[in-house]
Amino acid sequence: MSLLKKSRIYSPWLYHLHCGGCNGCDIEILAALSPRFDVERFGIQLVTSPRHADILLITGPMTKQILPMAKRVYEQVPEPKVVVAIGSCACGGGIFYDQENYAIIGIPNSVIPIDVYVPGCPPKPEAIINGIIQGILKLSKKS
Amino acid sequence: MIELLLIIFISFFLGLFYSFLIRKFSARLQWRIGPLIFMYKDLRSIMGITRIIQPLYDIIKLFGKRTIIPESSRKRLFIYSPYISLIFAFTSIFFIPFSSIPLLSNIPYSIVIVSYLLIGSLLFMIIGPIASGSPWAFIGVRREAELFLVAEFSFIISLFSMAISKNSLIIWEISTKEFNLINITAGLLMFTSILGKLHIKPFDMSEAEAEIVAGPYTEYSGKLLGIYYLTKIFLIYDFIALFISIFTPINTLPIYLSIPLFLIISIFIIFILSIIHVLNPRYRIKNALIWYIKIISILCLINIIAMVI
Repeated sequence: MSLLKKSRIYSPWLYHLHCGGCNGCDIEILAALSPRFDVERFGIQLVTSPRHADILLITGPMTKQILPMAKRVYEQVPEPKVVVAIGSCACGGGIFYDQENYAIIGIPNSVIPIDVYVPGCPPKPEAIINGIIQGILKLSKKS
Repeated sequence: MIELLLIIFISFFLGLFYSFLIRKFSARLQWRIGPLIFMYKDLRSIMGITRIIQPLYDIIKLFGKRTIIPESSRKRLFIYSPYISLIFAFTSIFFIPFSSIPLLSNIPYSIVIVSYLLIGSLLFMIIGPIASGSPWAFIGVRREAELFLVAEFSFIISLFSMAISKNSLIIWEISTKEFNLINITAGLLMFTSILGKLHIKPFDMSEAEAEIVAGPYTEYSGKLLGIYYLTKIFLIYDFIALFISIFTPINTLPIYLSIPLFLIISIFIIFILSIIHVLNPRYRIKNALIWYIKIISILCLINIIAMVI
């Protein structure tokens, strides 16, 4: 494995994007970073600018209000990048999904290409860490 | 000549080690684990054996990413200032003695050269983000510039009070003269300036993560961000090596004693910096300026008294 590929696996930086929803998944993401689970031991860090990120974490059902901003944030993450959808809402609309719903798109894959799905309402921090690691493995294969 | 080639690798790996230690100590003080020294046995095939060079992995990864240059930026200034900043920080490693090895620090006016190079490096860390055209970078840069002015004041006063009291402008001569009271008072002044220059916690308002996105580096990505991280690696080494060589009598010792002592003292300084980093909240820029002015004026008074004695 080349040094660059290794480095991609060893230092993934996350950017957390909240696209509506109840905040449950966001609290679980923070739990994954807190002392009990502490993903920094694997070099994973939460960054605050999408331009520094490798992995985009999306939570919540994609609302129509946030759609242009979400697209823009996705475009600002430099290549190679991976998108991880966290929670039932981000995976497919969750309990908010209804075809006649005027406010929610429901399936974010039609807007942003999602690489890894982590279902659950909210998913446990262990599941989130597993999702991130699946994302890292996909990231290392991208050129 | 061989020392000059060796110091490039030594400073690079010591800088990496120090920035790893800051992360590790901060994590341990927050009851976290931080980057692992030994990876868990069952994960070694995927996650590697050790993470002591975690900052190096970060930099290599950034070099492999696409660099985005914003439309609204002044492109030349935006692209070249990280490189110029790196050159300044990199050049200054040759003029700072490394545990009993003078390198280029025994040339005339070396203290002036080092202070110019370190100021230049920090200045281009300010100029690059200004050219990025991002409002978040502007806020961060304004704070950085204000902090830079006060931190620079204590930096220059401490360096030149040492130069006046030891009656020399050559770093090697200053560092080999006898240890007295001025070393302690000027060392304290230098320590306060290091806090501001390395953005240790009460003074990290310019980078203020989440508050102003990523501060000055908001628009930087890929290779250019990697260059800034590399500059920081060299700057950490520069400040710590300068602090140890000027304010401690380490350069008067034989080389087999001074190298381990250098490592022990530098790790101790990093430990103190990490404790300060973890225990403090983030100051507003106004509070930071007031703190600096208060502390500097008191320390300067003590410094002058020590110089007279």
